[in-house]
Amino acid sequence: MDVEKGKTAKYRKEKNPVAKEVMENLKYFTKTKKILMDALKEGDKTVPQLSEALSIPADEVLYQLMSLIKFGFAETGDIDDMDEYFYYKIKDNGKDKS
Amino acid sequence: MSEKKILEYDVLVVGGGISGGEAALNLANLNYKVLVVEKDLSLGGKMIALSKVFPTLDCAACITTPKVSEISRHPNITIMFSAEAKKIDKLGDHNFEAHVHQKPRFVNIDDCTACQLCEQACPVSVIDEYQQGLVGRKAAFIPFSIASPRAAAIDIINCTLCGACERVCPTGCIDFTQTDKDYTVKAKAVVLATGFNLFDPVKIPRYGYGKYKNVITSMQMERQLAPTRPFNAILRPGDGKMPDNIAYVLCTGSRDKSVGNPICSQVCCMYSIKQGQLLMGSLPMADVTIYYLHIRAFGKGFNEFYEQARDMGVEFIKGKIGDIKEKENGNLILRYEDVEEGKVKEAEHDMVVLSVGVMSNSEISDSFQGESLRLDDYGFINQDDILASPAETNIDGVFVAGTATGPMDIPDSILSAGAASAETTSYLRRASL
Repeated sequence: MDVEKGKTAKYRKEKNPVAKEVMENLKYFTKTKKILMDALKEGDKTVPQLSEALSIPADEVLYQLMSLIKFGFAETGDIDDMDEYFYYKIKDNGKDKS
Repeated sequence: MSEKKILEYDVLVVGGGISGGEAALNLANLNYKVLVVEKDLSLGGKMIALSKVFPTLDCAACITTPKVSEISRHPNITIMFSAEAKKIDKLGDHNFEAHVHQKPRFVNIDDCTACQLCEQACPVSVIDEYQQGLVGRKAAFIPFSIASPRAAAIDIINCTLCGACERVCPTGCIDFTQTDKDYTVKAKAVVLATGFNLFDPVKIPRYGYGKYKNVITSMQMERQLAPTRPFNAILRPGDGKMPDNIAYVLCTGSRDKSVGNPICSQVCCMYSIKQGQLLMGSLPMADVTIYYLHIRAFGKGFNEFYEQARDMGVEFIKGKIGDIKEKENGNLILRYEDVEEGKVKEAEHDMVVLSVGVMSNSEISDSFQGESLRLDDYGFINQDDILASPAETNIDGVFVAGTATGPMDIPDSILSAGAASAETTSYLRRASL
């Protein structure tokens, strides 16, 4: 079977279409990433602050935010005055990699 | 269309965790040709995911990574990843035939340089199983930073087939044309090192795991304490707060007939004590309370380790937990019977860690054809003569190592693997007489 190197994904897609849920998951992640990054562009925020501002449950904010930190889009800042919550900010002074 | 190849080895080792790896290494050093069949993408099993080990607080990765590296590079060892022994037949003395099924990785391991450009290019984010679901990973990913082999893999179920990973890969090692492979493996002996499963605390609804976000498992805490942790610090998964009052519930799903596991997990006291000590180091102002039935600190240096935790300020309460309820602020109310005072009490904590027990992983028993592999009453692989030959199973030529025989800690798993390799060697020598 001869499939051009570097284009094997295209070959597989023709044989096995991508499931609808997989595309929906991608859309959800892209949308959540955008709204979290937009919120952080306005200034450093804690998880409860992001949760309240975006009406997203705090556990979901934490999960997505930590993923964005792992993927290199955001970073951890200072801790609040009560030593309870960290502030989070965009990495590299807002130079969005996306 | 799957292809079928016939391969021949002296020993088939099922499982590439610390026990399977140790047994394989011992046998390979005696010049036997060994095939290790590992179901995951990396060697190292559960140990490679731990932060530190008790009672020495040595870094787990510092012990595991050189070992798995040695296994990977040994000329007498072949490793198949994403593979399972689906059928094992004993055709005669020193004559086993196994059917091994291998799933594709969609990456040619030999060409991957672990540059992570595919990870950066991948637009998909899914739950990272290695980080116990606390953070995401990409669909094109390196399983974890100290994985062996340190090579990418494609999670085909969640891949959108956009081709971004393929376009950026400098070595062209991504290959979506890969398919399942089937092998017939001929071996003279078999070592089973299939390890254990952790108890799923969802089976105890009154503890609220899966419902209350700040109730986590000990493995989730283990990841939070590791240098390659999912968060920047120890945080409550519910809202990212730094906890200052953490409770441990020992014997979650062990010594409990009502959930089908009446036996002691043998490790949950000690790993909880270890985590308590590590938490006191990470969060010096935090209170750590361990609710226990009995502290079983039976090994060398274990009781001293327990005393050390007490001296550091970890509080121990002999108490049986009734249930756990969540407050609006995410804090948790534990209702428990204080066994020493004979009173029912309540206590509030920021976060609760369920110290889950050890369950058998008996799937491999279904693979045996003809002569069936005997299990014990709890689903672990039975040792027919535990005192004289602890690695022998009821099938001559099939040996067992590590937690596949029952719950045990890391040093005992290594010892057990040593016994398994010694008994396998003795069996193989008889073949050549």
